[in-house]
Amino acid sequence: MIRKMDISTPEGYFETLQERLRLIPSRRQRPSVVRRLSPYVAIAASIVLAAVLGNFILKTTAAPSEEDLGWEYVSYLAQSLDPDGILPPQESEEMTSGDIVAYLINEGISVEQLNAYYNEEDD
Amino acid sequence: MTLEERFNEIIRDYSERVYYHVRRFVNSHEDADDLVQEIFLKVWNALPSFRGEAQTYTWIYRIATNEALNALRREKVRAALRFSSLDEVMERRIDSDPWFSGDAAQRALSKAVARLPEKQRQVFILRYYDEMPYEQMSKVLDTSVGALKASYHLAQEKIRAALGEGD
Repeated sequence: MIRKMDISTPEGYFETLQERLRLIPSRRQRPSVVRRLSPYVAIAASIVLAAVLGNFILKTTAAPSEEDLGWEYVSYLAQSLDPDGILPPQESEEMTSGDIVAYLINEGISVEQLNAYYNEEDD
Repeated sequence: MTLEERFNEIIRDYSERVYYHVRRFVNSHEDADDLVQEIFLKVWNALPSFRGEAQTYTWIYRIATNEALNALRREKVRAALRFSSLDEVMERRIDSDPWFSGDAAQRALSKAVARLPEKQRQVFILRYYDEMPYEQMSKVLDTSVGALKASYHLAQEKIRAALGEGD
């Protein structure tokens, strides 16, 4: 006989225990929808989490490009820093006399007018 | 006989024995109740592959003992996280268990058993409380009869010493 005299159980415990144990096969055959879906939900949640984290890490570590900032914002910054456009362009091309002549023709300024302007300055 | 009928037969024959067996390890009615359900869930899952080479009795006790030891290992980790020890947790459980109906000597014995090393505790519970023959224990624990007798002897010595200290 098992020596169990020093421990006891609630009244009718073994009857209810056996009833609960007999439910195990039915519980195992028909797992709940949540239980069936939970592995897939967990996988989907992991993918979303990885994507969000990856995006966050990339955004915080990589230098922002013009596209990221938006062209309008870059233009605004350039305007703010150099409102009169007095700063020389970073990659200036060398201006030739041909370019000057083309500019003057385009603006309708004759060489005579230009000479007159410089003569006034000299005076 | 269908699997379900076989399972119901196992529940009828073994649920009470399994309960008392694991209760000796965890020293709490609620924990033993949870553990019995986990054990029978494992039994149900393993039943289709159980060929009956081992006796059902041996097979059930092996599952129950392993699950009880796993539960104690988990409890040991939880105790360590609370800066406590498994011995302290078990002592508190034995003292506060409303379903412990023994006298002071039996309470002291339960505490001494809870302090035994894992292997000696298994052997002592199977031999002393479950009164399992050594040959049967040998199959459950996969250990030679000689080694089991030695473990039981050592366990008895430790318990005597612990109870002597308490006098």
